[in-house]
Formats: sequence, C-alpha cells, structure tokens
Amino acid sequence: MPRKVILLILIVLAGAWGHTRLSRQVWENRRETRSRIETGYVFPSQFNRVLALGHKGLYADYLFLNTITFFGERQMYRESLTREDWDYLVTGLNAVTDLDPYFLDPYVLAEGTLTWETRRFADANRLLEKGMKHRTWDWQMPYYLGFNHFYFLKDFNKGAEYLMEASRRPGSPNFLPHLAARLSYYGDQAKTGILFLTGIINSTTDERLRASLLLRKKALEGAALIEEGMERFKKDLGRAPQDIAELTAGGYIGTLPEEPYGGQWVILPSGRVFSTSKFVEARKK
Amino acid sequence: MNRVWALAVITYKEGIRNRSIFGILAFALFVLGLNVAVAGFFMREIGKVTVDMNLSALTFSGLLLVFFVALHLMAKDIDKKTIQLVFSKPLSRGEYIVGKYLGILCFVVVSLLVLAVFSSATVLLVRGLYPNYFAGFSWPVFFTAGFFILVQLAVLSAILILFSTVTTSSFASLIFTVCAYLVGVTIEDVVFYVKSGFRTEQISEAVKQTLDVVSHILPNFAMWDFKLEAAHGLVIAPERLGLALGYAAVYIVVVLALACLCFQRREFN
Repeated sequence: MPRKVILLILIVLAGAWGHTRLSRQVWENRRETRSRIETGYVFPSQFNRVLALGHKGLYADYLFLNTITFFGERQMYRESLTREDWDYLVTGLNAVTDLDPYFLDPYVLAEGTLTWETRRFADANRLLEKGMKHRTWDWQMPYYLGFNHFYFLKDFNKGAEYLMEASRRPGSPNFLPHLAARLSYYGDQAKTGILFLTGIINSTTDERLRASLLLRKKALEGAALIEEGMERFKKDLGRAPQDIAELTAGGYIGTLPEEPYGGQWVILPSGRVFSTSKFVEARKK
Repeated sequence: MNRVWALAVITYKEGIRNRSIFGILAFALFVLGLNVAVAGFFMREIGKVTVDMNLSALTFSGLLLVFFVALHLMAKDIDKKTIQLVFSKPLSRGEYIVGKYLGILCFVVVSLLVLAVFSSATVLLVRGLYPNYFAGFSWPVFFTAGFFILVQLAVLSAILILFSTVTTSSFASLIFTVCAYLVGVTIEDVVFYVKSGFRTEQISEAVKQTLDVVSHILPNFAMWDFKLEAAHGLVIAPERLGLALGYAAVYIVVVLALACLCFQRREFN
C-alpha cells in the first residue's frame, strides 16, 4: 500500500477519534448553555399566524415541540423553573392554541403543570376555556375545568356546572352526573378529589404524567384516611381536632398513611387535611 | 382543441422528463420520513401531527414543482427562442397559453398523485405504529385537503403563466410568483388583524386601503386551506367546498385570459 494512502487512513482515523471526543464535549456544552438560557421568546399570535405561511398546524406542532423540550429538559434535570420560565410556558401554549385551537396536547400539558406545579389557575383555566369552546366534542376540557374549580378554587357550584357540561358531551364516563351531584354536597373532601383523579388517570396515556397523577392519588388517599378519622373524632367529641397528633393519640388513626411527597401531614385552619410538601415533588434549587 | 391538447401533452412529457423532480421527490420522502421519526415526540395527537406534516410536505413539494419545473417549462420556449418555431405552426397565441397551462396542470396533477401515494403510505405506517392515537383521523377529509392543495397549485400555475407573459426574464417571473404566493397565504391574517382594530392606530389609511385593494386582486389562499380540518377530522361544510372551487375556477379563467391578452401584444425578437 502506498505511503500516501496509509497516511490518509491514519489522518482519517485520528480525525474520527478527535471528532468523537469533541462531539461529546459539544453536546455537553450545549446542554449546559441551554439550561442557562433564562427563557425563550414567543412571537405574538397575530404575527405567528402570518409567519406560519399557511401552515398553521405544522407551525403549532413546531412551537409545541419547542415548549415541551424546554419544559422537559428542566423536568429531566429536576431544575426549578423561574417565574419567567412559567410565563414562557403560558405564552407558548397560548401561541400554539391560537394557531391550532383544536390541538389537545397543549391543553393537557397546561392542566398537568400550570395547576399543580405553579398554581396559575387563571392561566390554565383560560387555556381550557379556549379548548372547551373549540373542541366541542371533547368532554375532557370541561372536566378539567370542573376539577380546577373544585379542587383548587373551591368554587363547587361552578365546578359542578362544568361537570354537567362534560357529562352532556359524547363519550363522557357514566359517573360524571353522580360526581357533579356529590360535588354540590360534599365539595371540600379528599374523596371527591380521588374520584376526579381516577377519571383523569383512566384517560391519560402518557406514562410520566400518569405516574405523577398516581402519586397525587396516593397522597389524596392518605388525606381521605385522615379525614375519616377526623369525622369520627368530631362525632365523639363534638369538635374538630387541632392537629394530627391529637388524632393519633386518641386512636382515631392507626398508623399515619405515608405522605408520598415526603412532607408532614397537617390540618389547615379551614379543617382540610394537607401536607407541608404541598403535594409537590422537591426540586433542586 | 387538438392543437391545444397536443401542446399540453408535449409540455407534460417535458415536465416528467425534468430531472429536478427526483430532487423534489427526495425532499418529499425526507419530510415524510421525518414525520415517522418525530410523531412519537408528541403526547397524544400523533395523528394530527402526522396529517400536518404530510399535507405540508405535499404543499412544499408542489410549490417546488411549480416554482422550478413549471417555470422552466414556461420560460424555456421564450429563452431559447423555440417559440418562433411553435408559432410557425397553425397555433394561436391564446391556444399556446391554454395548452401550456393544461400541460403544466397535468404534470402537477400526476406528480402530486405520486406524492399522495407516498404520503398515504406514511399515514398508514404511523397509524400502524400508534393505532390508539388516530381516533379523529378521516381519510375523506385528508384527501379533500390534499385535493385543495392541488387547487392552490393550479391557481399558482396560472399566476406563473401570467407573469411569464409580462416579464422578459424567467427569474423575474419566479420572484413575482413567489411574492404573489406569500402575499396570498398571509393576506387574510393581515387584513383581519387590521380590521380588528387592536393596536392598529399607527397604521395609516393609505396602507389600509392598499391592503384592501391587494386583498381583492390577489387570491386568498386560505380559502383553499383545509389542513387544520384534516388534522382533526372535522367536517367541512359542502358550501365552503363549493365556494372554494368556484373562487379558484373564476380566478384561473380571469388570470389565463389576462395572460392571453398580454401574450397577444408581446413581441419576440
């Protein structure tokens, strides 16, 4: 083999080795750089519609992919999101649903993150209202709205109204009218929340979202168990317990249920059972 | 009529022989392949994303066919002066324009049909991979949206022919056609935004009037855009389809008549 060819092969091999090493560094560098980027910028919807050049659906897919990549990266590395990050997420989801108001995924993401993680109920509800208006065949939009009004906003009548709307839509589960009725009577109870969550879990196919909802259901089941003890306590002593210790000391709860988010069970002044973790997973600061 | 048809067949054959279509086919296949890879990134609406990507791939490929191959078919005769030879035959200038248009249309129809076969295969493949995520998908609406991509290209081809008759350079025809298309696909949103009155105080009356005039001269391509309906399997009202077809037919007739008129007065050195 001529020397020139051997030399060229050696150069190619050395170059390939160098490239592999550099490539790894480049990807790691990009990951760090991206995580340092504060937030992205989303064009106003009026501009996006023009920019889509007649491909609003495709552009909505692209914007949504950008938004979930941004959110997913921070989830994966368990980094906390700043207020600007959440603003970006809300603006992004708004832009996506302005381009394609029938697109289900942004609404599901809004319900799964904006409420539980950052308590931006108004933003989540505004998005879901848009979804309810356009996805007239979909019972899930009013169902999510009903859940938000019941669980987070404590507006049981409005929650029941949304549930009734959901029950009138095709394919809705049979238990919705029953749930709406129950909501009107026993709104502020963990058991009602469990019923709601079971409905959401059954219609969720995304594994990660499902796992996180199952964790929440477990937390609510724990809260429901304590609420049962509280009810017995009230029946016997004619007053509400002041704290969890009073319940356990009186034997109204055998062993305290596990709090899956790692917090401590507490009884709020409103009489509701909650946790110091606020039912949110601990994140890196 | 026979003379027109003969010219249409020649134009069509020339188009099919053009090697650029292999590049355009490769581009379409790349986008369709990308669809298979990207679809799984979405949580639920994989069917919607698949339809979006497929119909957009058909549109992009169709545009490339019109902007490059159809333009070449139209400009070649004039650039290479072979048009003198054509006019030595018993063929009027009007017949030449109509023949060329029909040839280009046949070429676009056949190319798009081939692409539609690949596109349908991709939809079937992704549907096979994710069968639970295609609940809202409807083949009739998908093909309706595909047919209206063809209608858009038919209108654009007519515009291309008009510009080819009034300009002396094929590059200028390309630029004008691209501009007409860009304005056509965006004009609706701009017009409605201006009409909404939301932060539009800065826009002068002259601009608003110009927009109004342009919106009636250039076609509103959004009328033939049913991609969103296809993506979600929404029912399209028959009146809307009828109006869209009528709008396209009338526009094509007017533009071709105008092209014939311009071509009558054109001098070839």
